[in-house]
Order: sequence, then structure tokens, then C-alpha cells
Amino acid sequence: MTQTLSRRRFVKLTAAATALFTAGGKAQLGYAPSLTYPAVKVANVAQVKTGQPITFNYPDASAPAILVKLGKPAIGGVGPGRDIVAFSGLCTHMGCPIQYEGGRFICRCHYSMFDPAKAGQTYQGLASSWLPQIPLRIDGKGDIYAVAVAGLIWGRVKNV
Amino acid sequence: MALIPRRDQLPIPPKNARVHNTVCQYCNVGCGYKVYVWPVGEQGGLKPDQNAFGLDLSRAQPPLAGQSYTETMHGITVGKDGRQYHVVIVPAKDSPINRGNYSIRGGTNALTVWSLDRGTQDRLLYPLLRVGDQFQAITWQDALTLMAGLIKGIRDRDGSDDNIAVKCYDHGGSGQGFEDNYGAGKLFFTALSVKHIAIHNRPAYNSEVWGSRERGVHELNYTYEDARLADTIVLWGANPYETATVFYAEHMLPNIQGNTVAEKQKVFDRGEPAEPGYLIVIDPRKTSSYTIAETVAKDRVLLLQPNLGTDYILANAIARVIWERGYYDMAYLEARTDMKLFEEYKQKSLKLQVPYAEFMAEVERITGVPRAQIEKAADWIAKPKAGKFKRRTLTIYEKGIIWNMKNYDQVAAIVQLAVLTHNIGRPGTGCGRQGGHQEGYVRPPAPTPGSIYRGGPPVNVDKFLTDGKGKFYWVIATDPYLSTPNAQVFRKRIHERTEKLTKALGAGGEPGTIQERVKKILDVLYSDPDALFMVVQDIYMTETARDAHLILPAAAWGEANDTSINCNSRLLRLYEKFMDPPGEAKPDWEIFKWVGLRIAELYRAEGKHQEAAKFEFGKNWNTDEDVFLAGAEEFSDNRVSEEDEAKLEPENYKGVTYKFLKEVGQQGIQTPVRRDPKTGKLVGTVRRYTHKFGTSDGKFKWYGTDDWEGYPPEVAKYLEGERARQYPFWVTTGRAQTIWQTAYHDRHLPEKAMALPLPYVEVNPQDAKRLGLQSGDLVEVYNEEGNGTFMVYVTDAVKPGMLFLVMYHWRGTSNSLVSGYTDPKTTIPWYKGTRANLRKVAGAIPSVQQTASLLQQNKFD
Repeated sequence: MTQTLSRRRFVKLTAAATALFTAGGKAQLGYAPSLTYPAVKVANVAQVKTGQPITFNYPDASAPAILVKLGKPAIGGVGPGRDIVAFSGLCTHMGCPIQYEGGRFICRCHYSMFDPAKAGQTYQGLASSWLPQIPLRIDGKGDIYAVAVAGLIWGRVKNV
Repeated sequence: MALIPRRDQLPIPPKNARVHNTVCQYCNVGCGYKVYVWPVGEQGGLKPDQNAFGLDLSRAQPPLAGQSYTETMHGITVGKDGRQYHVVIVPAKDSPINRGNYSIRGGTNALTVWSLDRGTQDRLLYPLLRVGDQFQAITWQDALTLMAGLIKGIRDRDGSDDNIAVKCYDHGGSGQGFEDNYGAGKLFFTALSVKHIAIHNRPAYNSEVWGSRERGVHELNYTYEDARLADTIVLWGANPYETATVFYAEHMLPNIQGNTVAEKQKVFDRGEPAEPGYLIVIDPRKTSSYTIAETVAKDRVLLLQPNLGTDYILANAIARVIWERGYYDMAYLEARTDMKLFEEYKQKSLKLQVPYAEFMAEVERITGVPRAQIEKAADWIAKPKAGKFKRRTLTIYEKGIIWNMKNYDQVAAIVQLAVLTHNIGRPGTGCGRQGGHQEGYVRPPAPTPGSIYRGGPPVNVDKFLTDGKGKFYWVIATDPYLSTPNAQVFRKRIHERTEKLTKALGAGGEPGTIQERVKKILDVLYSDPDALFMVVQDIYMTETARDAHLILPAAAWGEANDTSINCNSRLLRLYEKFMDPPGEAKPDWEIFKWVGLRIAELYRAEGKHQEAAKFEFGKNWNTDEDVFLAGAEEFSDNRVSEEDEAKLEPENYKGVTYKFLKEVGQQGIQTPVRRDPKTGKLVGTVRRYTHKFGTSDGKFKWYGTDDWEGYPPEVAKYLEGERARQYPFWVTTGRAQTIWQTAYHDRHLPEKAMALPLPYVEVNPQDAKRLGLQSGDLVEVYNEEGNGTFMVYVTDAVKPGMLFLVMYHWRGTSNSLVSGYTDPKTTIPWYKGTRANLRKVAGAIPSVQQTASLLQQNKFD
């Protein structure tokens, strides 16, 4: 069930973004995850093929995300090979959609590139913040759940 | 779970947050930033009228058009009032330079503020004195007494300042600018007369581009719009995607993508073709600036990879093709250039006396660049467009040219190519530096010579010191243990010399008072001529400071008002103070002022009032602006017509005040600033040399470059006999996006230190296969100058037989392997060429391999 998010669809999604947050409140300065996140099923381990990304939205409908099995162990990786990871699908530089290609995430707006095996670090390009990683949990049936976001999704002051 | 601390929400600046305009502290591009400061414990709301951004933060920002506010754009500092403050630093959308865009450098500005929950807590807070071979806190009062006593003691004994050696920046940005440069200039050139002074990144006091300036062309002559308007952009020894990132991404790339054609149509002459831009990259490496452009417009990019050191031969060859094909305008050359000197250029550079085929065969042999590529480059640079319109070519060069072998001839050859094709002074043209840092130079005249053609070359201060000369060495805001050429030899020798003083001070017990310490230090310095006193003035403890006797804490960016210009447009703006310096740290100009005043007191006490007065240059400097305005007096009268802008100093800002700069904000004003002779109004200079060149008669001065003479002995030794086998690799050096310009802070930031934990070496896949190397392996790279441990990146960025070493990493600098060669015409080093070998080290450092990315940095397809 490989999906890709076209640029047009992405822009539509963002334009249609609903009110994300309620009141301001006091500054929270804890490290992520400092908020309450939903557990959302993304896929079953059996469905995930090495190198074939699965797109989903998390933690809400207007936040594109990408899950990928890298075929080699990754920081924060889950599954038998500790190689399944998920990240925000928005470049942390200026919010453009990123693609998973050739073993890395790349943003075609300004060519920032992020390493999915190394906690989403920017190894080339303009993005000063690393890509937010989405911690995953696998239940007994092999279902993979997204459970939080470690890092701020671009364009927001609060992930949820 | 995250490898580094991450956040999933950020504080919102409240409506009443203090808001400041500033410009990034780092690179030549000079992106605009906005700073918001407010006390911890308060926070704004999501509605536009509840926050200082004035934005509806209940909705996500739209991509590209929205305001970026990411995790790295927030920090917490402590004020002098003992309260914690949020500091938010975001890219300015009203800056014409970055338009809301930002890079991996500027995006971390907020992380660099002095903070007690970050590595930046390691800032120097008060003066430190080496007592009993340990650094101990002392007061400014004692520090100034020591400085003044030693400086005056040396002058009294010598009757000159020749035993005082200084290493100091000459640039803007990084918390420096016109104010600090003027303070340094007044102390070192008006009060003292320091001949043995070197600039932060090189061993002498010199321009890196005398080859251009002596032709009548200052190196900053274009404006950022020219990158949007050019028919062809030439990047020569410059890799702006990594070292002028927003300039490349925001202005060059859109041109290559064809997104600026409408802008061209507005500016170009009637009927003149306006098409998507072409890009020529001339670099020994396949850089990311090339590979990105190749990804977006394969047919409009060209990569020329000359052998190291041969660029000027290549530039002359392109010019020869242009001559042969008639791509020049003789009427322009006759009107605007010195035609007598042109004969010398034709003979020595173009070598018109040598038949074309023979000439080109020789060039191919020397440079390794095929004739067809040279001819193609000539067409792209200068072949008239349909309708016989002149092509518009913008040539941007940087350290690949400047820090090349034969600095003077390299720079001269490139600027001459641009003038031959009338590619200076028109929209879409220009020939100048990309720049490293920003600029901000204003000083009284220095007691140092110019190039070999202007009374020089200047003294190599590194050699002066390693030869055992000098007694007092003042290092300011630079770290020569990493940054100077032949760094390994320099480090060991300075260590040896400073240690002699340290040991002698301990003999018979260390002095108990500052006055006794002054006396004993002077006694040692004059009884052991090899002993050396070293003072380091910086914001952090540096590698060089390890061996210092005194360390002075300086203020950083944002901790004082300062002013600088950027390199792509000479755009002058005010960098507003937004927080206090930590502890007792002071702006550099203030330190220079107080050192001067303390020396003056000593002279007054002896009744030497005339000498004292020279050192009281700063007695009326109470604010940053006082220094800025005092500096303006050094510039010539700028009430000149637009035609005469070429006569002005490139950074002339006479008439500009902080009030004016606050009013113009991010729009700034482009130097040289003129005061319109009729209206008296301040007018900026968009691009230079439209009407005249910067020479006494306004004409461009041609120069005949040297013949190819092979490599200098320092490198040629590796090409002969047994050494050729022992050191089989060419080595070039350079910068990397992630830590370039920023490593002094970055070593304290996990986002950077985890990504590039060790210096690295790029190895071509063929060589890696032959040697059994993989990315992440550790190797020792070595030659007879020095060595270092580097992490391997296997990449096609380098050709087989060549290695690339990243410069200035705090765990090992490529400069350890670089020879002490400097251009005999300018004393500029060749940091980017030597020979070496490598060997795999036993074992590995698994923690580094597990956390640092090993993916290929120049692969975008």
C-alpha cells in the first residue's frame, strides 16, 4: 500500500488545515514528547517492504508523515530488524513535502536531506532542525502504531 | 528517545516582547533576522493580536510563504538582572536578501546565545590569568594593568612596537563590524604602530584580492539581483550551496530553473533575449552547487575540474578563445581600459604570439581540462546572444581561487576575463568574491606594505613568531592553532615559546602582585629571547588559548550594537543588541579603549602627555555609535556624483547614523554610500564600475600573468622520486555545509556536534575499493608537514587520486598538513593544495559510526 503525496494534494491539505490548537496557556519547555499523542495504527509489519515508503497522517489529518523500512538498523527503529522508522513528511526548513528516495529523505524545494537511520539528522542542506521522528510501537499482532512526535512539525508552535 | 534533545512545542512571543532587527552572525550572505526577547514565565497567545509575530498561530503556517519558527530558533539566556529570558530568532521576511529563507547556520542563531542549559554556558565570563600553570579568575582592573604594563614595558625597552605581534580579524559579522575594527585600528595603528599584525585567517596583513584591486576593481562589485538576472553564472572555486546557501537557494537556483525570466525581461534591453540561466562550475571537486543544478537543468550546467593550482592558466585560455572568436567589444575596451597595458596582457596572458592550436594543447596538458570544454565555457561566458546582444555573465570566485597557489595571478586572470567581455557594471554581470564572513573594515592607514607591486609583500607573522622573534602575541577572535597554514609546526613552536615564559615565571615562586608579575615577565622576555607572552581575547576557550598567559572575555553577536555589510550586495545594516554579554565580557572596541586608556595613565604618570594623548583615542567613546561615527571620519568626502562612485572606498558610510539605519531596517543601504551633491541625501550604490574603474584615471589596469612554472618547492618535493610513491594523493581542503563558519559555536550544539563529530576525508570510490575503505572508517592522513585522524566519506565529489579534507574541525585541522608556502607577491597561503598518504587505523569508534550520517552529501538525483 505504497502511497505518495503529490505536491498539489499536499498544498490542498495544508490550505484546508483546520484550527489546530485551542488556547495559549503557559509555555511548556519540556523535551518531546511533552504532549498527549494518539496511538494510530499505520500498517502491519507484514505489509512493510524494504525501501517502499508508506505515507500516513499523524498526529492529525493535516500532518503528513512517512513510514519506511530501511533494511538496516536505525536509531529508534522497530521490528525484527530494528529498521522500521517514521518521520514527519514536512521539511523542517520551510514546510515543503519531503520524499523518501535512495535511502534518504530529500526536499525538492531547497534540497535539504535527512538521514532516516540517524534520527532524521540534516546531513546536507538548509534545515537547521532535524526531521521530527515519530516513535513507533508494535503490538502482538504485528500492527505498527505511531505514538508520539519527537520534534516540532514545521509551521506549528505545538504539535497537538 | 531522541538522539538529541527535541521539543514538540515552543513558547510564543507575547505582544509586549522586545523586538529587534538584526542580521545573521555568520556568513557572507547576511540574511536578515528578527529577535524577540521576553521574560521566562510569560507567553503570548495564538491569535494575531496576542503574539508579537502578529500571526494566527492556531493554524499551521503555509509552506514557503509562512514564518519559519523551528526548534533551533529558541533559546533561554540570563540577563544582568539575574532573570531568565526567552530569545527567539527567526528569519526576517522583510529582508530583500533572504525573504524569510534561512540556512542551517542562521537557523541556529538562537541556540548560540549564552545559556545555562546548553553547551554555550562555556562562554568566557571574566579575565583568566595563568598563575602556577592554572587559569585563575582576575579582575579587569588587574588584567588591564598587566596588558598596559607589558606593552609599555616593551615599547620603553625597544623604542618601537616591533616585538608586539597581533592576530586580529578585519571583518564584519560574528559580533564584529565597523565598531570593533575601528577600535582595533586606533589602538594598533594610531596609538601603537604594529607592523607584525596578521589577519584572522592568514599569516600577514594583506588583501586576499590585490590581483583585482590593483586592476581598479574592488572584489564586491555586484548586487544580489545580478544572480537573478545573469545569462550565465560562473562559480569559480566557490561552492555557494554550502557556503553562501541562501544566496544560492534563493537567487541563483531560481535563475537556473528559469523562474526569473520575467525579471530579466523587465531589466534587459529592448529585443534582448531573456532565457533561463546557465551555470559553469570550475572546481577540482564535483560540488553540491554543481550537482543540484545538474539535477534541475542538466543541459545548462558545465563542470570544469582543473588540476590544482592551474586555474589562472584556464582563465587565460578561456580569454584566448574569446579573443579568437571575437566575443569582445573593442569600443568598450578602448574607452574603459588602459590599452597600453592591454598589449602586455595580450602577450603574457593570451599569448597571441603562440599559434592557437599549440596554445590550447599546452593548456590541456597543464590544466587537464579538455579543449572542447574550455571553448564551450567561452561560448557560455561571452558569445553574443541572438541580435548581437552582449551576454551577461556573473563570475563569483572564493577560496578555491584566493587560497590557491599564486593568489595574485589567479585573481587577476579571472577579473581580466570579466573585463575583456564587459561583464562588470551591467545588470546581470559582475566579477567578485562570494565572500566568507561579512565585511566591516574601517581603520586608520596600517603601517604595513601592499603587494610586491606596492612596496610589499607584507611580513609573514607566523614565520616571524616561529623564527623566535617577537615577545608579546595578542590573538583576537581567531584560533590560529586550527586556522593557520602549517598549523602543526606553528602550534608546537608557540607552545614551546610560551611554555618557556610559564616555566621561568615559576622559578623562585610566582609573583604575588600584578606589578611584580609585569616586572618578572619583562625580565624573562628580555633574558630569554625565545620566551613569548600570549594573550587570547575570545568568547570561548580555544585551542590557542590553551597556551595563553592571559585570556580576555569578549562580547558576542547580539551583545552589543554593531554594523557590517554583506558580500553579495554591500548592504549595510544595524545589528541590534538584544541581550547582555555574559559575566564581565566586553565588546572588543571597549577592551581596546580600556587598554589604551590604561597605557595613557602610565605615560601621564611619567609626564609624557603627548604620548599619552595618542592612547586616549577612546576617551569619548561611550556608546557603540560613538565608535561607528568616529570611524566614518577615516573615509573620503562622499559628496560625489554617481559617475564617481568608483573613487570611493567600498565601505564608505559617511553620513550614516544608527538612527538612519533603524529607519531603513532590513532594507539597509548599499555601500559605498554617497551624499548626493545636489540634495545632500544618502544614496546607496547598487552595482559598481558602471562608469569608471577605481583607478586614478578611471581605466582598468591590465596585467600580464606569469607563465606556468610548475609547483612551488614545498609541494613539488612530493612529486619527485621516493616521495611521489610515499605520498600518492593530491589533497585539497574546504568547508562543509553543516559546520562551516560556525564551528566555534557548533562544537557546543548537539545538532551539529553529533552530525559531524570528527573531521572527515572524502575518498573516491575507486580509491576506497582499492584500499578496502568504507564510509565511517577512520584513517590517518599524513605527510611531512603533519597528520590527523579523519573519518572516511566515500564519494565521487573527488576524482580518483585526490582527497578532500574538511578544514578547521576542532578534533583536527586539515591545516596541519598544509605547507608554509605563501604567494611571494601577496603572502597569501595555499591552503588548498598539498600531497599526502593515508592509512586505515586499527579498530573503530562505534559510537561515532552509529550516530553520524555517512550518506553522500553531493547526491541529489
